[in-house]
This record gives sequence, C-alpha cells and structure tokens, in this order.
Amino acid sequence: MHGVDLPEGRMVGMSIGEELLAERRRRRRAGDPRLSESDRELLRRLTTGDLVGEFQAGLDAVSDADPLLGGGDNDD
Amino acid sequence: MIVVDEYLAARVVGGDWPEALPDDELALQASRHWRLLQALHGGRGGQLSRILGQLSDAGRDGIRHPHPEVLQVLDPRPLLDEAAILAARYGGTGLLIAESLAAGFAYGRQLWFGTEDNVGHLLARAAGELGIAVHVANT
Repeated sequence: MHGVDLPEGRMVGMSIGEELLAERRRRRRAGDPRLSESDRELLRRLTTGDLVGEFQAGLDAVSDADPLLGGGDNDD
Repeated sequence: MIVVDEYLAARVVGGDWPEALPDDELALQASRHWRLLQALHGGRGGQLSRILGQLSDAGRDGIRHPHPEVLQVLDPRPLLDEAAILAARYGGTGLLIAESLAAGFAYGRQLWFGTEDNVGHLLARAAGELGIAVHVANT
C-alpha cells in the first residue's frame, strides 16, 4: 500500500491498482499531450467559445453534402 | 465506455473536460470522426476547414489519430447491422444518426453531446423511443 497526502495532513492508503486507475484518470482528463497551448485554445473556441457557430456549420456541411452520412429526410 | 459527439471529443482532446461528463473512458463513433476528418482535410468543411488549418501538425494528429488514453474511435463494423435496422425503422436516417443510436444502445444506453444543436430532432425522438438517454454537457 502507498499513501496519498490529504490537505489536512492525513494519509489514505491506496493500492497499486487504485494508483494506476487514478493516474489513467488524470491523463485522460489532461487531454492529448501532443497539443500545444494554441491548439488547445483553438479547440476551446470552437467547442465552447466564439467559433461554435463555425464548428456546427462545418459539421452540418459535411452531412448535407453526403446523403449516405446525413440521410435524405432529417434535420441533422 | 461513454459515446460522445464531435464537440466533447474535441474538448477532451484539448484537455477541457466538461464538469457534467462522468469520469469514464470515452469513444467517438466512426461517422462522427469522419465528419471531423472531412473538415480537417478541407473536403467539405468550408470556414471550419480554414479554422482547423491553424492547428499545428501535432494538433492535427490529435484529431486524426486520437491519443487512446484520451479518446477512442469505435470500430463501426459491430454496429453496422443494428444501425441498418434502425435506419430502416426510422426512414430517411443516414449513417450518422443510425450509428449514433446503435452505439448508444450498445454502450450503456446513453449518448453524450456537447451542445443541444448537435443532437437533432430525429435522433432525440428515436433515442427516446429506444430508451437511450441523451445528455448534453456544455459547461
């Protein structure tokens, strides 16, 4: 068992398996390590910022241009 | 495994994990990855393609070949038969919606989107009939 420091100074035991899961969770939530800060900022603007409209329009344009993908009678 | 849309995929690749999104492994269905790739490679994305052109080579790789610890792309083959059944059931449904429904059905009867605008009426209605919960995580 290994210990993890808590803010109050107490220790909580974690098994190796728990530590590995926690590390996987941390890496998953940190995003792709290959991306630069400017890449991350551009994706943020596209998904939650001022470029959301362009993002949705671009996705819709791909579907609209391809009947196999978008279908012929729907709003997606 | 949680199936997410293009918005949530791009957010988590960029390290912006939505508060409401459960802590689990994430997967993007192939047809939604295809939409991102079409835009990335300038096929039909218009303005979006020009914006994505600002990504670095590493940033482009993050979309083209997502880091497996961050985002997986679902193999479409096991979903195709169910998708075809659903496409026949809901006439006019393209692969995007049919595969979404099949993936949602196969992975926990849930689908996660980054915005309501990316859900669509037909998918929302069909998901409701099929007992697939549609969640939107936009914060």
